[in-house]
Amino acid sequence: MFTLRRWWDRYRLPTVLTGLSLGVALFLRQSEGAILYETYQLLARPFQPNVERRAVLENAQILELQQRLTELESQNQQLRSLLGYVGETKKTGITAPVVGRSADHWWQHVLLGRGSQDGIRKGSIVMAPGGVVGRVTSVTPNTSRVLLLSDPSSRAGVTVSRSRFMGYIRGQSSNQAVMEFFDKVPDVRQGDVITTSSLSQLFPAGLPIGRVKSVNLSKSPAPEAIIELTAPVSFLEWAIVYPHRQAQAGKALN
Amino acid sequence: MKNEPLTAVLQERPANRIIANCLVAVASVVLCVLISPTRLPGMELAGIGPNWLLIWVVAWSVKRTVVQGALAGITLGLIQDGMTAHAPTHVLSLMLVGILTARLRKERYLKEDFISIALIVFAMAVVAETVTAIQYSFQGDRSLVEIWTYHQLIALSSAVLSSLWAPIVYYPLNRWWQYMYTLEQQS
Repeated sequence: MFTLRRWWDRYRLPTVLTGLSLGVALFLRQSEGAILYETYQLLARPFQPNVERRAVLENAQILELQQRLTELESQNQQLRSLLGYVGETKKTGITAPVVGRSADHWWQHVLLGRGSQDGIRKGSIVMAPGGVVGRVTSVTPNTSRVLLLSDPSSRAGVTVSRSRFMGYIRGQSSNQAVMEFFDKVPDVRQGDVITTSSLSQLFPAGLPIGRVKSVNLSKSPAPEAIIELTAPVSFLEWAIVYPHRQAQAGKALN
Repeated sequence: MKNEPLTAVLQERPANRIIANCLVAVASVVLCVLISPTRLPGMELAGIGPNWLLIWVVAWSVKRTVVQGALAGITLGLIQDGMTAHAPTHVLSLMLVGILTARLRKERYLKEDFISIALIVFAMAVVAETVTAIQYSFQGDRSLVEIWTYHQLIALSSAVLSSLWAPIVYYPLNRWWQYMYTLEQQS
């Protein structure tokens, strides 16, 4: 008892400080660093690109193409409604600046400067000029962390837009991803457009992802293709977040 | 440091010293944590930046015991886990870095200066990334070829950048801890 008492008198302060720091660290781990990211967002605010001005500066041709696309989409919607097909209505996105990247080197994350206060939820889809870039994996009131499609742990069901052959893609930590096909002899060529498939639970169907760069049909166990992501994931400056509920995929099937 | 009022305040009571020490440690860790998600121009190589938390662990452990080094590694590892993902954990790699740095017989092999700190950080960055790569290999959701080719890229760029930027963290912290040490001797 006495030795314990003497030990305590001698090491009281280091023990308390160690316990305190470990406790704080554990809290930060369990809360997924929410406080840290909020502080980061607060400090990084003056350096963020001005999203509103950027949107205005987009050149006229893109606007024209977008308008044509909107026209075609609405025509498509009308034709579908004539056929009796009930699709989901188009949702408006939340524009968010990219304020940071992953805090270590193995993960392909980006940090967005908008969070749950602006309506971003876990599982929301993140698009950039060019196509899908990833989905939100955690949110704090003013920031959200996005797992990019280029992360090796990120998988998505995709389809070849032209021939409707399906497979899934796996990130390669760069601007490329590997697509593995479900069929032994898929009809796929260099330059084919790849979009998310209707079997994907995490992403809504029909969003553009990339183009086929090369095909390896002799690959075992399944044929593979190298996909070049159209969105510039390595130098994103802003992104648009669309809400997406994963349960919807199951509902649509029923 | 020739700040007379500060010295007087710190010399007066040991409690002040402890509080100041804690504040400096916490502030420097927070700074390192907050700078981790940034990729400032000139501070990145192929999208990879310096590993600031590793630099802090090395700066802390250089003149401390193995246990202190390991505890610092565990604490910062937990924080980094919170900021990225829980598996594979950063606790193991940073703890190993703390232990190895504290165990190094610096007085025998290396002289106390920037170059030796940069060398230690270089080696430790390679060790830390290797530990992470081994964890990924056991996890088994990526192919081994993918993991180890990526490991080469990360280990090298992170080691080069971290060792170049290490003095920025090490120099002020070391000055502070030396100053604290002399105050302790005086009182």
